[in-house]
Amino acid sequence: MFKELDPILHSQLRLAVMSLLISVKEAEFTFIKEKTNSTAGNLSVQVQKLKEVGYIEVNKQFKDNYPQTTCKVTPKGIEAFENYVKALQEYLQVGK
Amino acid sequence: MAKEEHELSEQQSLKLITDMIQKAKESYYDTGISPILWGSAVFLASFITFLQLQFDYKLPFDIWLIVLFAIVPQIVISIRESKFQKFRSHTDTAVDAIWIVYAATLFGLILYQNIVPSVTNKLMNAEGWRMVKHTIDNSRTDEALLPFAPSFTSVFLLVYAFPTLATGLIKHFKPMIIGAIITYGLFIVSCFIENKYDMLLSAITALVCWFIPGFILRKKYLKQKKSSV
Repeated sequence: MFKELDPILHSQLRLAVMSLLISVKEAEFTFIKEKTNSTAGNLSVQVQKLKEVGYIEVNKQFKDNYPQTTCKVTPKGIEAFENYVKALQEYLQVGK
Repeated sequence: MAKEEHELSEQQSLKLITDMIQKAKESYYDTGISPILWGSAVFLASFITFLQLQFDYKLPFDIWLIVLFAIVPQIVISIRESKFQKFRSHTDTAVDAIWIVYAATLFGLILYQNIVPSVTNKLMNAEGWRMVKHTIDNSRTDEALLPFAPSFTSVFLLVYAFPTLATGLIKHFKPMIIGAIITYGLFIVSCFIENKYDMLLSAITALVCWFIPGFILRKKYLKQKKSSV
């Protein structure tokens, strides 16, 4: 029996965001936007979804009088990501 | 990329993960300015100290003050770089911690070098004895000596190698690993040679540990910046 792929992660932009955040300690919203080639609106929606399920932490603060949003993956997010990759590997092994 | 959401296949998911991890890796940059700054400062201070000892000449000021003054541009560089840094990698925190410990150790050693001899001297005086320089063939009359740690620069070489090697290993940056290994070699050499030459070894250390790796980082950074324009 295959594990079901996490529907939160099995989405192009959310998976891109999680993959990026898993590689760094924390990243600014603008950095994620640039690397994922997404629009601010779409990214905001997906970031909010990831935040709601507790996969990422979002911090809003001011840096040099400008608002700055930083995102960071949570331990729950790391676990979900690891499970997602394991499930993917299972699917791919069967597909071989 | 992800402008429109559509169902991902397993292969596409895996490719997306790999691509994003790669993008994060490629985004990492180090301007190389800090190692160039410290490499130059320590090189100049060490080399000029060596010249002073070699030619028995003394500058009217302590040349090691340039290392102290290097803290000012370092603060400016750190503030400037943090403004442009859009993310922090996991290794950044570890490397920062290592350099903080290094700075504290260095500060402690400088304190030791400056305080311990006079304190020891006071303790010896209180006990009613002192150190003297006595020539074996009695060609000179005995001279009073202040206690000192022999070949103390050797210890500094050892300390310089530690954060350099740790940074090189964490960041997988070969020039720093090589620089640190050379420095460990120079430390062994310094144990057998006259103190004066330790300063020359210290100058070489500044070049191999920081200046050259910093220059390589700078070159990489400028290349990366050029390609991303």
